[in-house]
Amino acid sequence: MEERLYRSASGAPIALRPRQHSASCRELAVRCPRLQLRSLSAVTSAVWLAAYGLFVLSENSMVLSAAIFITLIGLIIYLHFVKIDQESLLVIGSLGIQVTSSYASGKESTTFIEMGQVKDVVINEAIHMQKVIYYLCILLQDPGDPQGVSDIVPLFQSSKPRLDCLIEVYKSCQEILEQRKTAPQPSGIK
Amino acid sequence: WQKVLYERQPFPDNYVDQRFLEELRKNVHARRYRYRAVVFQSGAVVQQLCSVCVFVLTWWYMAAGALSPQGLFAAALASSLLGYVLFDAVDGGAGRWASGRTRWADLKSTLVFAAFTYGFSPVLKTLTESISTDTIYAMSALMLLGHLIFFDYGANAAIVSSTLSLNMAIFASVCLASRLPRSLHAFVMVTFAMQIFALWPMLQKKLKAQTPRCYVGVTVLFALAALAGLATVSSVGAVLFASLLLAISCLCPYCLIRLQLLKDNIHGPWDEAEIKEDLSRFL
Amino acid sequence: MAAGGPAGGAHSVCMVSDFFYPNMGGVESHVYQLSQCLIERGHKVLVVTHAYGHRKGIRYLTNGLKVYYLPLKVMYNQSTATTLFHSLPLLRYIFVRERVTIVHAHSSFSAMAHDALFHAKTMGLRTVFTDHSLFGFADVSSVLTNKLLTVSLCDTNHIICVSYTSKENTVLRAALDPRIVSVIPNAVDPTDFTPDPSRRDDGIITIVVVSRLVYRKGIDLLSGIIPELCQKYPELHFLVGGEGPKRIVLEEVRERYQLHDRVRLLGALEHQDVRNVLVQGHIFLNTSLTEAFCMAIVEAASCGLQVVSTRVGGIPEVLPENLIILCEPSVKSLCDGLEKAIAQLRSGTIPSPETVHNKVKTFYTWRNVAERTEKVYDRVADEVVLPMDERLGRLMSHCGPVTGYIFALFAVLNFLFLAFLRWMTPDSIIDVAIDATGPKGAWTKQYFWGKKGRVKELPSSKNAQMKRKEHNSH
Repeated sequence: MEERLYRSASGAPIALRPRQHSASCRELAVRCPRLQLRSLSAVTSAVWLAAYGLFVLSENSMVLSAAIFITLIGLIIYLHFVKIDQESLLVIGSLGIQVTSSYASGKESTTFIEMGQVKDVVINEAIHMQKVIYYLCILLQDPGDPQGVSDIVPLFQSSKPRLDCLIEVYKSCQEILEQRKTAPQPSGIK
Repeated sequence: WQKVLYERQPFPDNYVDQRFLEELRKNVHARRYRYRAVVFQSGAVVQQLCSVCVFVLTWWYMAAGALSPQGLFAAALASSLLGYVLFDAVDGGAGRWASGRTRWADLKSTLVFAAFTYGFSPVLKTLTESISTDTIYAMSALMLLGHLIFFDYGANAAIVSSTLSLNMAIFASVCLASRLPRSLHAFVMVTFAMQIFALWPMLQKKLKAQTPRCYVGVTVLFALAALAGLATVSSVGAVLFASLLLAISCLCPYCLIRLQLLKDNIHGPWDEAEIKEDLSRFL
Repeated sequence: MAAGGPAGGAHSVCMVSDFFYPNMGGVESHVYQLSQCLIERGHKVLVVTHAYGHRKGIRYLTNGLKVYYLPLKVMYNQSTATTLFHSLPLLRYIFVRERVTIVHAHSSFSAMAHDALFHAKTMGLRTVFTDHSLFGFADVSSVLTNKLLTVSLCDTNHIICVSYTSKENTVLRAALDPRIVSVIPNAVDPTDFTPDPSRRDDGIITIVVVSRLVYRKGIDLLSGIIPELCQKYPELHFLVGGEGPKRIVLEEVRERYQLHDRVRLLGALEHQDVRNVLVQGHIFLNTSLTEAFCMAIVEAASCGLQVVSTRVGGIPEVLPENLIILCEPSVKSLCDGLEKAIAQLRSGTIPSPETVHNKVKTFYTWRNVAERTEKVYDRVADEVVLPMDERLGRLMSHCGPVTGYIFALFAVLNFLFLAFLRWMTPDSIIDVAIDATGPKGAWTKQYFWGKKGRVKELPSSKNAQMKRKEHNSH
């Protein structure tokens, strides 16, 4: 299936790519805006300019080499641990939900939530910094109390899609969750 | 239209009736002052300023050696005795009878005070030796100013505290006395301070209540004496002090009365009610 | 749309006040009840207040009343600090995403209410302000607060006061045109305050006092009345509900006169317990020294008690003369009033609690308040909001030379800040919120569009989440 373009809560363009693997298995990937060369070069030149200013004042060439190291290490850390390129949600009706975030460097971090633990997927509102935004989250079943919710797992924390995109994802998820509820769960999975 | 909320009335909610604000009162508690009365009352401030002036002058002359401690002590003792007689004579002994205080008690406290001050005067003399003279002067000036600020001039204000005021004056006198040549000087200075800051205002208050005319005369004489004394030390100071006294007794009352006309105080049913009774009797 | 719906179209109203549940008080219940009745009439209503402890984020109360608990710092007495600017980003975001048309601020003690008015005017929204309190003119603090009120209200579209006395007071304080000030009283829910004569002991006479035990409520007067009357009438009992710094005075009186069995101090009461206390008494005593609109006496009268009260503030307007005995704020006058009430009680000339209740319940209802408030909204919706230049002119001409220019400068700065925020996050990229209430309300129309159906299942463990909260206080 092709990509659909949306915007994030801060106005940046993002793309949603739903992929239907089978009737009860669906993957929804949200691609964050790519790292722009413009902002990268702006940050780098700002750091180097500041370093050059310090160098003129202190006349110590260590400052310049330190600046180069700082930008390089900073870039590595940013790409490796901060910048998320894609966040995807894999919903498998009979198994569970897998949440994957891929970093710009290619590193991936994955969380899997067993279907038995998933109570529901809902859209919620929150005050985030100086904004009020919608977000999608998974409610986890409280093992002690069938009505209760033990925890909430927020999704797409980095891309923060707007409501229209969230609704799309939400509907896809609900379709599969509905199937699970109507069809009795095979007991072998647990 | 009625000023009630419980009935639905055929008027819009923002209807403004003729009677709107009819309960508004202005300047209910504003007092109309008479110029003469205010000038008369300002006498208390003039008196206290003069007392401070006379005290500082006395110290000045003692420090310069122009006034012997024996001479001052004699003069102060004589005026105190005169004041003591007057104090009872002015109201015909009514105040003494009301307070139930005997002459023996008066004599006893006088003797105790004099004996203690005399005994401790060497200590007073050396008490502040380690403190620089500038600090002493600054402290005395500050304390005398405090005395003037907190003195009970007859106003019913929170800032008034006659105890604090008297203590500050005595503190100033102890500070100044420690810069005099000998311990006898210090003893005389502190007793004089006691007389002029503690006993003299008491007599003044009684004079003011019983014989207002006499009080005005005493105030004018006292002010003139203080001015004359100041003139012998500094003529510029005397002129400045005279203008200060005039400003306080003539200009300030005039300003008060003029500004009173501009008063615009609003009262109405929205004011918080005051509890006028004394409820402490129930406790 | 609900029956008897709005004539001039539905409004999207944002109530702003620092005071809201879980805090308890007159303003809080006013905002809540008014919002509920406006929702019933088909308007979209949301409430904005500051966070109370762990209660922050967005919550839903009964009937989909959406409440924003904003994370703003509380300064004093549950009122937030005001810098006039720091709340703009969040409030603007809310006003835009909820498509608010009217901003209704409550209580002159609430800094957030004044901030919201200021921002709403900058954004060109209609503004309404409800004043719940009376102020004097004598002391320095009231001079300052009155000046700030003048600034805040000089370009507000409409002002609502709770009594005629309060209107006079507000008009004077803020130097307003009285025609833009409406009088809409508070109300009580008569079904909450029903009489129950079986609960009271007719062998004795019980005088009930329910108020916070503070100076402004005249507790010192009460401390004089108790010994005075207890000595005269051996069968007289006092029942005092409420807590506060003046409790110690009452305890001293009780100790001094050995009245432990006749004067009961109940301490702080929950709102739902008030009725149970009221119905145990025959006479209700109110000793307030100042009061804009006294809810307590209406509640007591609704429970069928004979009311004795001081004649202060708006109290004489609240109940007709046959239901209330008005006295001067002094021990003697109040004792006379109480003795008159006791004499009437003994001779049986007092109307029965049922008849009193049936009469009082027609006086003040929240539906009526909402109807009249709706008229104010309709009126305001037709008015024009002052454009920036006229607003500055109004501030400078109306608020005095110094204050006027300072606040005109603030208004300009606020406008520039708003322009900056609009450049940072344009209105077009702010998501429009799903209406919970109003004509397209997901809640009122039973139009459960996906997520709304599941909302009830959310827990309260995390902050910032939807929660349908049945309000147990009402």
